[in-house]
Amino acid sequence: MSGRTIKLVAIGTLIAGTLVAESRKEYHFNVGSKAGVSVNNPYGSISVKPSTGNTVVINALLHSDKVEVDNNQNGNHIEIQSHLLPGADATSGRVDYEILVPSDASVTLHSTTGPLHAEKLHGDMTLEGSGAAVDVRDVSAAHVHVKTVSGPVTLTNVQNGHVEVDSLSGEVTLDQVNGPLVQVISTSGRINYTGDFGRSGEYRLTSHSGDIEATVPDGTSADVSARSVKGEVHDDIPLQPKTHTWFAIQEGRAFMGTMGRAAVSSTVVLRSFSGKIHLRKRSAK
Amino acid sequence: MNCVELQNSLAEIEDASTAEQQAHLKTCPECSALVGELKLIVSAATDLRGANEPSPRVWNSIEIALRQEGLIHAPRAGRSLIPSIGSRWAWARWMVPVAAALLFAVGIYVRQHSISVQLAQNANRPVVPGTVITDLTAGLDDDDLLQEIAQQTPGMKTQYEDELRRVNEYIQDAQGIVAANPNDEEARRSLLEAYQEKAMLFELAMDRSLP
Repeated sequence: MSGRTIKLVAIGTLIAGTLVAESRKEYHFNVGSKAGVSVNNPYGSISVKPSTGNTVVINALLHSDKVEVDNNQNGNHIEIQSHLLPGADATSGRVDYEILVPSDASVTLHSTTGPLHAEKLHGDMTLEGSGAAVDVRDVSAAHVHVKTVSGPVTLTNVQNGHVEVDSLSGEVTLDQVNGPLVQVISTSGRINYTGDFGRSGEYRLTSHSGDIEATVPDGTSADVSARSVKGEVHDDIPLQPKTHTWFAIQEGRAFMGTMGRAAVSSTVVLRSFSGKIHLRKRSAK
Repeated sequence: MNCVELQNSLAEIEDASTAEQQAHLKTCPECSALVGELKLIVSAATDLRGANEPSPRVWNSIEIALRQEGLIHAPRAGRSLIPSIGSRWAWARWMVPVAAALLFAVGIYVRQHSISVQLAQNANRPVVPGTVITDLTAGLDDDDLLQEIAQQTPGMKTQYEDELRRVNEYIQDAQGIVAANPNDEEARRSLLEAYQEKAMLFELAMDRSLP
């Protein structure tokens, strides 16, 4: 047997070994309206999309035999847990989930590494993970709660939402996110907002040392106040100044005013201790 | 009543209004400052909307964790943790997860170390008003948290050290602004948010992955 043949056999054996170690599991659950689905997956991705009908479908790809999937249905609530066995680590303990749930289901996803993804749902959702990248899109009329330590967070097209994002150092990007409450708190992460702040609601973007950039189109109506203790504050949009302010407006460190129609406007609060704040106008295409 | 017993009792009698609690607070500046800071957090919550109230699952998770730590006990007849908070502090309900997370972190420390030993070690340090809560949440518990991380996920220790440093800076800066502007509601809210960030860091860090 030639050396080349031996190498090919060895490579094939390794690949076959990998494939054998991986395994797929699939679970189906029948649920009622407003079901609850929670997934705790220390290592690996979780992706949630809407299903047809009142069915929860769990597809799990287990990367080794050092992890197993525990599943439990308690009435209208489904619990999925990636159970790490002795000797498991971030690689061997990885499970990747693709989950289908009724669009009105409440979803709780937890993964240290992620990524976490949810789309086209309108039930409450909670996505948490220390380093997990979180991506939520095309969601309406839902409570969205996101917590990460360093994982970046991206919310896209979240309409009429109650949104709360906490990320210590992850970059937070909101694109077309509006609703009665949109709140982002960060310690050192950058916050990017693109949108029109809806027709009403409270928008609060706060970062201790991260920069905050809000880009809005023409026609946006909002009462805006921005303040940075040590960072620079820039405003590219002419604001009608407030006659009374509850804090001193220091040039270059704060601004406060109204843009658009005051009668129909959201309240926007931009705060940073040492980061820069920039309110920009979106350029017309 | 000693410091540990007072802090345990705060979970059920939040305003420290019992005679026993008041007697201890009169003799203990550290616990008195802690109760003062908690009241400050609660009073700042009056500015926040009820829409910030967390889901029932959050309450259940906190209650389970506090029971496991022995910080709360089985509810007496007609009383439970949630109705107790709802009836009196309804307007500050959503703040309780933050305070509970801080109490939880303190409870972890109490389990592993003696508060009296730490206070004795601190006795020679000048107590600066308003900083005791920082010591309790930033100094004592930080070490425990980092020890847990070092044992469970050593590769994450450096990252968590950096995150702790940043969030402690956040708290200190926010405290400074509140001290300079005690009537500034925005400043108090910023301090609240800083504590919330630290509570979240503890919460996610304590979520162990390995068996």
